This record gives sequence, structure tokens and C-alpha cells, in this order.
Amino acid sequence: MPEEEVAEEGVLNPLQPEIQDPLLKEIIEENDLQADPSRDPLEQPAPLPDPDEVVDCVVIGTGAGGAPLLARLAMAGLKVVALEAGPWHDPRKDFATDEKAQAFLFWNDERLSAGQDPLAFGRNNSGIGVGGSTLHYTAYTPRAQDDDFYLHRDFGVGVDWPFGYDELEPYYDELEQFLGISGPENYPWGPTRKHKYPLAPLPLNGAAQLMQRGCEQLGIKTSPAANAALSARYYQEGIGWREACQNRGFCQAGCNIGAKASMDVTFLPLAANHGADIRPNSYVTEIERDASGAVTGVVYEQNGITLRQKCRNLFLCAGAIETPRLLLLNELALTSGQVGRNFTAHTGVQVWGTFPEDVRPYKGIPGALISEDTHRPKDADFVGGYLLQSIGVMPVTFASQAARARKLWGQAGRDYMRNYNHIAGINILGDCLPHESNYMELAEEKDARGVAKPRIHFTAQENEKRMTAHAENIMRQIWEAAGATDIWAFPRYAHTIGTARMGLSGDDAVVNADGRAFDVPNLYICDNSVFPSALSVNPALTIMALSLRTADKFLEKAR
Amino acid sequence: MASPHYPEGTVRALLATDLVTDATRNALQARLDAPLYEPQYLDGATYELLRAVAARLFPQPDRPDNPIELAPAVDKRLLEGASDGWRYDALPPDREAYRMGLGGIRDSAETMFGQPFLSLNDEQKDQVLAAVQQGTAPGHVWQELPAVRFFEELLAELTENYYAHPLAQEEIGYVGMADVPGWHHIQLNQLDPREPEEVK
Ligand SMILES: Cc1cc2nc3c(=O)[nH]c(=O)nc-3n(C[C@H](O)[C@H](O)[C@H](O)COP(=O)(O)OP(=O)(O)OC[C@H]3O[C@@H](n4cnc5c(N)ncnc54)[C@H](O)[C@@H]3O)c2cc1C
Ligand code: SF4
Repeated sequence: MPEEEVAEEGVLNPLQPEIQDPLLKEIIEENDLQADPSRDPLEQPAPLPDPDEVVDCVVIGTGAGGAPLLARLAMAGLKVVALEAGPWHDPRKDFATDEKAQAFLFWNDERLSAGQDPLAFGRNNSGIGVGGSTLHYTAYTPRAQDDDFYLHRDFGVGVDWPFGYDELEPYYDELEQFLGISGPENYPWGPTRKHKYPLAPLPLNGAAQLMQRGCEQLGIKTSPAANAALSARYYQEGIGWREACQNRGFCQAGCNIGAKASMDVTFLPLAANHGADIRPNSYVTEIERDASGAVTGVVYEQNGITLRQKCRNLFLCAGAIETPRLLLLNELALTSGQVGRNFTAHTGVQVWGTFPEDVRPYKGIPGALISEDTHRPKDADFVGGYLLQSIGVMPVTFASQAARARKLWGQAGRDYMRNYNHIAGINILGDCLPHESNYMELAEEKDARGVAKPRIHFTAQENEKRMTAHAENIMRQIWEAAGATDIWAFPRYAHTIGTARMGLSGDDAVVNADGRAFDVPNLYICDNSVFPSALSVNPALTIMALSLRTADKFLEKAR
Repeated sequence: MASPHYPEGTVRALLATDLVTDATRNALQARLDAPLYEPQYLDGATYELLRAVAARLFPQPDRPDNPIELAPAVDKRLLEGASDGWRYDALPPDREAYRMGLGGIRDSAETMFGQPFLSLNDEQKDQVLAAVQQGTAPGHVWQELPAVRFFEELLAELTENYYAHPLAQEEIGYVGMADVPGWHHIQLNQLDPREPEEVK
């Protein structure tokens, strides 16, 4: 192996050495650009923006946090520009039904995982591309319940949200109608709903049927889940018809028919139809300010060229690791001392079992069945709660988890994997309390751009351990009741939450209840980083609800 | 319950039909038709060591002449400096981890059996690998490189390479690649016509 190895330590991609000299950099970049006429029309460099134009709003990131507000602002007639680090895909052409071929959907820049329970990123929780992580989310879209927002009020720990369910309810209603969420006639948990789900539930696949069977025997109530995939063709105002789910079971990578409500087939076309300028392959590196501390614009790299976009307001929606990373790199919004802190991740233990039945876990919507009976369990020895969900799984993801958790290899490993078609899983998503030892910081190690990599410290604390033990016990019982053998648990934490939290005071929070930074007048943050607590449900629907609310609060003020 | 088996040849046959989208076919066919690979990043001896390790982690007595090769993707990835989005902070960067880890396996084999890893019999090789996995392998490398974490990463990467291969997917009865029509029979014990049944 080459000797220079050691010297290269720390650089993600040594084939692109960092160039310091700005002139040289410019020349090389221009050459690169000429040499690489992008293969895909969607990736063709856009006409260069006017360097002097000041737009009303720049939105960084086009995921669950960025896309809805982008559409809202554009529809209000504002001049808006979205900058997205990743490409704009054509699902039909680009999305193979193959896990490896879809690895480009994940945020694959290296993050350093520290602490006693180091977190997996990439495939586990972080996406890139026009649509962000929604390109590969499972599309479970339960609402949070009112008490989710008040852990401190109810248990005396963590912090409360600055508002509760009432404030988000109209947005939940709106989102479910707009996205075309499939769900049951009467959802058994949470406050009474003003509107029914617009579409009937998706059909239950093998894993969901087994979970239903096990839960029935234990007296645990279940329901078909709310899922942001269409159980029937659906007409979307401003977008047109979208096709129904074909039960292809591949939501955890890109849906190649647009049945799943990822942002690229919903809010982003809507935004573009109202004049939003969405710029793919645009990686923001710097945020510029004037003497008063207000944001004046951002610097980004698009297809190798460094560009600047001036703006009157900035919406930072880059996800709960890249958002605090950009803030730390630019020394922005740091007065509370909370940027990067209060990092939480949903407890997400999965339990797998082998069944005599033919399950075929690659078929049917993977996010099919849910139970919220464990929202506030009576016998809980922990704070908060969790929900239970059946899961479908693709072979590479499953094999990788089995290798890590069961440590199987050799003949034993291959023999176990032959059971793939007989395997079903359940997982939970539950609260996680902030703790001072769980945080994100800039590492000394640099990435290929010469920018500090993020290091994330995560150690499950007493509450997370107790919740996981409680859940694992229930899920094992469910699988035993359903007839499983060889039951095993994959301890896991999912989603990245809380690194720029929202609160009532700039002493302990980064943004106020409207999403505006306490110490930067025209900076707004909206993504999973502003959650004051993790909530005991999947995050995407609530992120989108916050996104619409943040836009409305901004528009109210601007009026 | 004995592990299920599925008929051979089904995936190649599927790929030749119009039940598979072009995007999916291209991805899978490229793996099936992968040409002989010359290491570009690891030096020859280290690459052979990696192959030998892979052959124990994924023994393929059923494919004596053309086993699914797991080392090329690793070599390519290291060459490109590509990542899967994260790394244990306790480990050095991947290139360094592989350099040290494979060196560590080499040293442990020498210490445990007085022979190079490649000269050991299968049982001895497995003993070396098990010792690394359990963090009990001898050698100074393991003072600096956490053996358990390194082994986990190595095993996970090779596992993903193995099960990404169409023949390995055929072996476990996965046919999700037939992605043109939707699936209609998705409940327990229901099969669509293009799903192979287990060989009884
Ligand atoms: C496999 C998987 C399954 C999931 N399943 C579910 C589910 O069933 N239900 C659910 O509610 N949630 C689910 N999630 C989580 C959900 O997708 C995320 O919580 C949600 O999308 C996060 O929204 P966000 O806006 O915070 O970030 P993201 O959606 O990740 O968006 C951030 C965007 O910012 C861009 N960006 C980052 N840095 C920069 C930069 N410097 N310059 C320009 N652009 C930048 C990124 O490329 C990205 O597009 C799942 C996630 C995964 C990975
Ligand atoms: S299961 Fe349905 S929504 Fe999910 S990827 Fe397949 S077709 Fe799309």
C-alpha cells in the first residue's frame, strides 16, 4: 500500500486536493467545467445568476424543512431562490430498484460518530438532492399528540415547545390533504380530527399482517398507518395527477413512479410553478453579513464555480447536522451557546423474527401498520413514550444490520440470510432527552473541500435505555405471539434532531417560536434542528407543518 | 427449520425480460458481468489478503470457479476516497483503518500460528478472524486500532457487497428487481407469478 497514506489522514477525498490560491482555483474550475459537460440535462449548469440581484429569500436545503416554506413564500409573490447541494433527479430514469445504485440519495460526506452509542448517518438518516431526505423516507406520517410538546410540564425534564398541538393542527390538516396521505377511516389515537385522511389506507403486507396478529393476541391496538404514499391516483392542485403506489416496497430509496410524497414531486414543483428558482448542485459554503450582523447573502459552489446570491432574508433548512455546521463555520447565531447542543435521536430499536410463512419483505408499502398504545404506557419506568411500526426491508440493508448486530459470518451468516423471505420486523420511534454529553461539534479533520467535518457525540442515557428495554420486551412478545422464532434486536437510533432548538428565550434557544434566530434579525431556521424535543413520532410531517407555520409567521410580519 | 433454497438461474432470466426497468437492469447486469479486476489502490499482497479474508467471511463452496468477488468494490472505494456518510470516531480514516487492520490480521496470524494468513487452513483462518472480531487478537496494531470496531466495519462492507450481487439475491429468493409491474399478491404466503418458489 502506498506510503503517503498516513499523510493523507483526515481528507475524505484525496483525489481533490484543497487549493488555496484563488486565482489558480478559478482557472482549474473553469477548465473542469469545460471538460465536463454534465451528462444529464437536469444537471446542466444554470445560466449564471446576476451577481447584483438581491432576492427576498434564499432557502438552503430542499427537504421536509425547506420545500414547504419555499412554495409558500413563492406563492405569496416573493422572489425566492433555493440552493440545494445535490442534483435534481428524474425518478423514472435515475432510480434503479437497487440499494447500491441508489446510494447517491444519501448524504455521504463523512461524519464522525463518537460517544458510547455512535450514530450511523448516511443511509440511516440523511439525504441529499432536490427533495432532501424525503427522497428516501419510509413516509410514515403520524401527527404528534398534544402532550408530546410538553415533556417538561408533564415530567419535569427536557423543555417544552413554545406552542402545542393547536398551533400545528391546521397545518397537519392542510398537509394531509395536499400530500394525499393514505390512512384509516378513524385513526384511534390523538385528538379528534377535523378532517379524514383523503385516501384509504394502503394494503397491509406480510410484516404488517404478522404484527397485527401478534398485537391482537396481546390486546395491543393497531391501525393501518398514515403514509404519504398514494393508495389511489391523486390530483394535486398546481401539480397535476400523481400515480398510485405499486407496492414496490422500495420507499427507503427513491420511488421511481412518484407515488410517495417526497418534496420533489409535491412542494417543489408547486414552488417552481410559482416562480421559485430552484438551483440544484449548489453547495453553500459561506453566509455573509453586514456590520449590523444581518445576513446579506450566501456564497455557494455550483458545478465547480463559486457564486454569490444576495438576499434580504435567509432560511437555513440544511438538516440537523449541516445547519449547525454552517452556523458554527460562519460563527453565526452563537450567542445562546446552544448551536450543536441538545442533540437527540429517536430511540429506534428494531426487533426481527423468522416466520414459517412466506413474508417476502420487499413487497408492499414498508410503512404499513402502526400502534400508539405505547404513547404513555402505564407501566413505564421512563419519561415520554414511543410508537410501534411494522417494517419492510431490502436485502442489503437487512444483511448489513444482521452482520453488525448478530456478528454472523461464514456459513452461519449465509444460512441465516437464506431466511430473508421469512423475516419480518417491528421498530419503535420514541422520545430522547437532551443531555450535555450529546452534541455536534466541528472536528479538526477536514473534508475534501477543506471544511471541518462534523463530529457527533451520542450516548444513550438512562431514559433511552429504559425505553428501549421496555419496547424490546413488548416487541419480542408480539413476535412470539405471532409465531416467530430466532428473535433478535438491532439497537438503533434514528433521525437527527435538536441542534438549533426553538424556545422562548435567546438564553437557552437558538430560534424563537417563529423560527427566527434570536441574534440575527433576518435569519430563519427550519428543519429537524429546531425541535425542542424529539417527539414520540416520526418527524417529517411535523417538520413540514413547522415549515408552513414559519413561512406564515414571516409573511405576517412582512405584510 | 432448515434454511430455504431457491432455484438457480431465475435472476438472469428475469433480467432478460421487460419486467425490469433499464435503470435496475443496468445496475445488476454490470455486477454480473464485472470483468476481472486488477487492484488499483491496495498493493497486490494486501489485496490478496483482503480476498482471502473475504473468502472466509463469505465462503462460497457452491461457486468454486467463480465466486462473487467482494474485494474489488472495497479497493475502488478506497481509491476514490468515497464514504457511506459516517465513520466511528474511534477509527482512523478508512484508508488508514484498512491498512492497519489488514496488517493487524497478517501479524495476528503470524503470532498465533507462525505462518502467513494465506498459508493457514480454513479453521486457523477463522480462528484469527474470530479473535479480531472478539478483540482478543494478538499484535501491537490492535493497541491502536480498535479490533472490534474495525472488524464490524469490514464485515458490514463485505456483507453489503455480497448481497448487492444478483446471484446472492437469487440465493435468498429476492426478486424486488422485477420492478416494472406493481406487486399484486403482497400478503402472507401470496406470490406473484414472477416470484420463484422455494425448492422443497
Ligand atoms: C431511510 C429513512 C427513512 C425515513 N422514514 C421516515 C418516515 O417514515 N417518516 C418520517 O417522518 N421521517 C422519516 N425519515 C426522516 C425524514 O426523512 C427526515 O426527518 C426529514 O426529511 C428531515 O428534514 P430536514 O428538512 O431536517 O432535512 P433534509 O430533508 O435532510 O433536508 C436537508 C437538505 O439540505 C441540503 N443541504 C445540506 N447542507 C447543504 C449545504 N451546505 N448547501 C446546500 N444544501 C445543503 C441537503 O442536501 C438536503 O437536501 C426517514 C429517513 C430515512 C433516511
Ligand atoms: S412502495 Fe409505493 S410509494 Fe413506496 S417506493 Fe414503492 S411504489 Fe413508491
